[in-house]
Formats: sequence, structure tokens, C-alpha cells
Amino acid sequence: MKALHIALLVMVLGASLPLPAAAQSPVRVLACEPEWAALAREIGGSDVIVHSATHGRQDAHYIRARPSLLAKVRRADILFCSGAELEVGWLPVLLQRGARNVVQPGQPGHIMAADHVEVLERPEVIDRSLGDIHPGGNPHVHLDPRNIVILAKVLANRLVHMDPSNVNAYHDRLASFQARWSDAMAGWRERAERLHGMEVIVYHKAWPYLLNWSGLERVAALERVSGIPPAAQHLAQVVESARNSGAKVIIRAPFEPVDASNWLSEKTAIPVVELPFTVGGHPEVQDLFSLFDVTLTLLEEVHDRL
Amino acid sequence: MYGIVRFVCAAVMGLSVWVVTSAVHAQSDPLTTEELAAQISTLKQEYEERITALEAQLAAIKAEARSPVRKAPATAAMPVQARDNSFNPAIGVVLNAMYTEFSEEQSEIQGFRFGHESERPVEGLGLGHSEITVSSNIDDKFFGNLTLGLGVHPGEPLELELEEAYIQTLPGAGLPDGLRVKAGRALWTLGYLNELHAHADDFSDRPLPYRAFLDGAYNDDGLEVSLVLPGDLYKEIGGGIFRGDDTPFGGSQSGREVWSAFARLGGDTGPNSAWRIGGYFLDGEARNRAGGHLHAHEEDHGHEHEEEAHGHDEEGHEDDHAGEEHEHDYAEFLSDGMFTGDTRLYGIDFRHTWAPTGNARDRELILQGEYFWREESGDYVLQEEHEECTDPMDHSTCEIHMEDVTESLNGDSRGWYAQAVYKFSPRWRVGARYSRLSTPDDAELSHDPEAMSAMIDWTNSEFSRIRLQYNRESLTREDDDQLILQYIMSLGAHGAHSF
Repeated sequence: MKALHIALLVMVLGASLPLPAAAQSPVRVLACEPEWAALAREIGGSDVIVHSATHGRQDAHYIRARPSLLAKVRRADILFCSGAELEVGWLPVLLQRGARNVVQPGQPGHIMAADHVEVLERPEVIDRSLGDIHPGGNPHVHLDPRNIVILAKVLANRLVHMDPSNVNAYHDRLASFQARWSDAMAGWRERAERLHGMEVIVYHKAWPYLLNWSGLERVAALERVSGIPPAAQHLAQVVESARNSGAKVIIRAPFEPVDASNWLSEKTAIPVVELPFTVGGHPEVQDLFSLFDVTLTLLEEVHDRL
Repeated sequence: MYGIVRFVCAAVMGLSVWVVTSAVHAQSDPLTTEELAAQISTLKQEYEERITALEAQLAAIKAEARSPVRKAPATAAMPVQARDNSFNPAIGVVLNAMYTEFSEEQSEIQGFRFGHESERPVEGLGLGHSEITVSSNIDDKFFGNLTLGLGVHPGEPLELELEEAYIQTLPGAGLPDGLRVKAGRALWTLGYLNELHAHADDFSDRPLPYRAFLDGAYNDDGLEVSLVLPGDLYKEIGGGIFRGDDTPFGGSQSGREVWSAFARLGGDTGPNSAWRIGGYFLDGEARNRAGGHLHAHEEDHGHEHEEEAHGHDEEGHEDDHAGEEHEHDYAEFLSDGMFTGDTRLYGIDFRHTWAPTGNARDRELILQGEYFWREESGDYVLQEEHEECTDPMDHSTCEIHMEDVTESLNGDSRGWYAQAVYKFSPRWRVGARYSRLSTPDDAELSHDPEAMSAMIDWTNSEFSRIRLQYNRESLTREDDDQLILQYIMSLGAHGAHSF
């Protein structure tokens, strides 16, 4: 019995040991998704410490409110997420239990990307039978490169607010990023024009921003309702519409199940392409620039094959 | 175009500054000029951000107009509609029903007194526990939650139980970072399962230590404070003070007879796996703890005794019966007696989750275990029947009296469970659990209760689940084989899950 007493005491004491206070600590950014972590690295450089709650092969909608994330929210100066209820399954718990004031909604350390850009697919009808829908619209806003530059500026402003002493560094990195991004975007736009009107089948409704920006045409979705795995009858319908349409490719994100898309590919002889979806979703995608480069390259490969 | 945007924004800013200044004048303790300046600068920054965003959007639209690529669809701006029900709290309902089959007629456990909440469900078709939860942020500083449990027991009126009714501070309450206060009635921090509503469990029933030591869960009335400490490792400490009316306590007199303390640590063991451990302590006093369900129990016993007495009478062996009166079975005191004394509960818990692909939605293994140690000493009171006869030879002169018999016993005991749940496809999970109790030494029983469970469940969405579970419970020397088919569905608002 004594042993238990002592173990408890040690735990309580160990947990409450004061930490040495750092003098001028860097701004801590907790990104919910890797794309926002990548953007924070572009703008924050060496003045920030960036963590991503999810990695490139994870579906940010379904992660657990892990204890390590709770610890990270507790220390974060800026929380940078997609918003539009993408993180609704775990972020509210972390915010409430981590109880970090500066990253709460409405505070300067709270950035939800969907609050700053035009959101697509706002549902007109909200009913659970339609699956796990997002009343706030589609949250995957990062796949439109025009949105990235908007958020770069939002983030830079917040970083300056948190860390005014490094204002010049943030402004310089922002200017550099904006210049490089607009150059890159001009190139991507030219490449996207070649793909314009290409018909695609998607798994989850993860792609509207990419499709909308690049001009690809979605002809079918493998998941009839979002958040509920496809059922046999629906797949039969998808096979029908896939055959009738001129779909050239089935697009899949790294975290989406392989079986349904592979099955459809076998039935219809339409190739499957796994696109990066986010930073880290493909071995060659380590930043936001390569995210769009690789995505377009992969689509061009299929496009040119046919 | 830019000019118009700038003019509108400037006008809005000017208006906001006016609102802020008039608000400041209205306040009893006015803000200092620095605070005012800070507020204005925050506002300014916000509007600058919006202008920036608008500029960027405009630039993008212009660029798009020149390019043949489709431009972003001009979705009509959605005005925020303020309906009458806009501020209604979130309402969630959990529907839960079971079909069960048991091999034994009775399920009793020697050496422990089980309360109402931890009994075996009814046999056959039956509604389990339905729940209604209403919750909402009260204002910028507080959150409130009310959970009503609706229990249906055949032949009894609908049982309405207030499971939770608490308020909790929000991070905007002005408390230091990481500090939280919760007050009212809640499923308090104690082990892993205690904080969960039973429908969120991975099995249809609670493991033995929760049933024996907590009657399902500890949700007394009280107050709890917790603090998440800074650092890369998750560290949380906390404690509370409670009334002392819920099992393992009861009959609180001062209304503040229980206190608790806990500490938790957690972290990641890789990109796709996480762990948490915790230590817990609960200390208080119990007075006449019955564990609920007193009536049915007493009636059963009375009936048995009557039959016995009748039998003795016919065979003419009254003396034997009288001779047995003072030989007490200590196990019976621990199983059926009312307890008054000190009780202390120590617990440790452990949980490890691993999603091989990183996506818990596709595949996941969860290992979990808890160990509890109860220190309990005091008096156990059992009501026994006494036959008093004015004329020992004439049975019609006898009267039956109920008499309290008290034994001072040591109720120290231990209990634990370990379980593994594996999700092998997005909709299917299998799980196994083993739980065991050590009966108090004073019960003088050679048998320790144990239970084995296996389950498989099908989850259509985050909101619906159907489960089949098989239990082999060896609570006495007889094995009870149990089959449970259950559905759990949730309607409406559905809170986020903790780890």
C-alpha cells in the first residue's frame, strides 16, 4: 500500500516541477494539418517552432485528441487549422482541456483558414442521413493556391502581433514568399489550362478546391455520403456513371482506403492516381510548392497517357 | 473598387471605435488609455487583415478574369440568420437497447454489494439506459451540461436519474492557462472509464472493479480543479471535494466528506501511437451504504427465511433453527450489509492506442487496463429475523422481529481489468476483456470473482453502433454465460471524444 502512496506522490511532484523559464522564446505554432505547418515555416522561419497535429497520410477529420496534442495546445501561441468543422471531433476537447487563453476562438492566436477565404459546398440541407457533413462548407481550402497567399498574410499579421520584435523578419519572409508564390502560380495556371475539363472520379469530397481552381470536372464520387464507407449498390451506380462518362482518372488521397478505388479501377480500366493532398502526402512533397508541382505532374502523366 | 472597400472598412472601423469608446464610458471602472489603445490596435489589425484578404481576393478575381480557367463560383454571401432558436443549447439523445440471454437465473456476487447501476441487465428484450444531454456555452466564461439518464426496469416506474449537471470554466474565464474548474454533479476524474458515459464504453457492461467499487461510476456532487502543466509531455494534476452521497460513500452528514487527487501523464510513442497513464485517489466516509436496490433484496431474504421457518415447524426442529441464529456468515455481511466506516480508493490506469496506418478510422488497436485498491474498515449491519415466542411450545404465540446485527469487518480488496480492442476495418471492431476482484479476507471465501468478455461490433457511422458480446462471469462458483446484443445510437449533437 505504501508503494502506491509513494508512486502517487512522485507522480504529483514530478508533474509539478517548475520548468526553467526561457528568456525570449520563439513563437510556438500548432498547425492542425501539415499544409498550415508548412506555411508557418515559410513565414516564421527560425523565429517559430512549428508542430503539426497530423501528418501527410492522416485524415485530419478522424484523429484522436491525443495527450501529446493537449500538451501542445497548452503551450501554443498560435493555432492554425482549416476550420469549417474539419477538426470538430478533437479540437474542441483540446482547446477546452488545454485551456490556453491566447489560442481560443476570437483570440489573436486562433486562425481558422476557412474563416478567411471563400468556402465551397456550403450545404443547403443539414441532416445526418447525408453523412458527416460540414455545415460550414468544405474545409479543404488549401488546395486552391490562391487561398494560400491570403493565409500567408493573415499568419504574418498574427506573428507580428505575437512577436513584434521580429516584425521585419516576418515582413521580409512574407514578401519573399508572395513573390515566389505568384511566380509559381503563373506556371501552375499554364499547366492547369492543359488539364482543363479533364473528367475525374474522387473518393471523398476532399478535392473541390483543386478541381475548381484547375478546371477538372468531377463526374462521380465513390463515397455517396461523406464519412460513411461506400456500399455495394452505390458502387454499382458509380461503375455505371464511370463507364458512361469520359472519366480519365480516379483520384485518391493518401489517407483514403485503397480497396474501393482499386476495385472501381479494375471494373472500369480507369487508372487510379494517388495525389499528395497535403505536404508529406508524397515522398517528394516536402513544402507547399512541391505540393502543387507534384499534383500537376501526376495529373499531367495520366492526361498525356490518354 | 479598392477605394470603395477602403472607405467601407474605414467607416466600419470608425463606428467600432465609437462603440468601444462609448462602452468604456459606460463601464463603472473605465479602461486605461493603454487598454483602449490596445483594443483599437486589435480592431485595426483585424480590419487590416480583412482588407488584405479582400485585396488578395480581388487580385485573384482580376487575374482569373484574364485567364481562361474557370473562376471561383460566386456563391451568394450567406447572411447570418438570427432565428429564435439560434441560441438554443445543443441537445443530444442516446438510444440504447439490448437483447440478452443468461445461463444462470441469478447473478450475485459474494463478498461485495452491487448497486442498482451495476446489476446484470434484464433478460430478453429490454431497453437499456437512454440518455438526454443538453449542453451549451453559458457565456464567455462558463459552459454548462445536463445529462438525464432514463432507466427502464420491468415492473418499476420509469427511473429518472440526474447523471450530470455541471458547469465548467471556459478558457475565457480569466483563469491562468491550463486551469479548469468544474462544479456540480459530474462523472469525475477517476480512472479511465469513470469520465465516460456508459454508452461510450467498448463493452456493453462495466468491468467488475467499476461495478463492485463504484456502482458503475462515481458521480457525486462536488467541485474539481485541474491544471494542465506546460511541457512537451502531457501532465495534468488535480483534485476535488465532494459531498459523499454516491457509492462508495453514502449518508453524508456534513455534505463535504470526500476528497480526491489525481495525476496524469501522456505522450506519443511514434507518429501513430499514443499513451496515457494516471494515478487516482478518493477518500471519504460512508454511512449506511446500501448500494441502492435495498427493497428487493430484503424482500427476497424475508421470503426465504419464512419458508425455512415453516419447514422447520412441520418437521418439529425449532431448536436447530434457534441454534443457528448467532453463527454469522461474514461474506453475507459484506454482500448484503449496510456499511458505515472509512473507505479509500486508489487507482491506476493505462491506455495505449496504435493506428498502423495513422488513420484510426481504418485500423486501430487499443490496449487499456485499470487497477483499483480499496481500503475499507468499519461496521457492516445486517438485518436478521428474530423469532420471539411467549410460549415456546405454542408456535402461534411467536412473533418475528427484525433485528440489526453488526459486525466490524475489514473490507480491503483489489480489482482490475485489462482489455484489447482492435478495429480491423472501418466498420468492424473485435475486443476481449478480463476482469477480476479479490474478495476481502474477512469474507473467508476461497473464490475470487472473475469475468471474461468477448465482443464484436459494427459501426455504421460515428452515430450508430451494433454490438454482440459474450460474457462468462464466475462471480460465485457457478459460471454464468451471457449473450448480449445491443444497439447504441446517438441523435443530434454529439460531443467530441477525449483520448
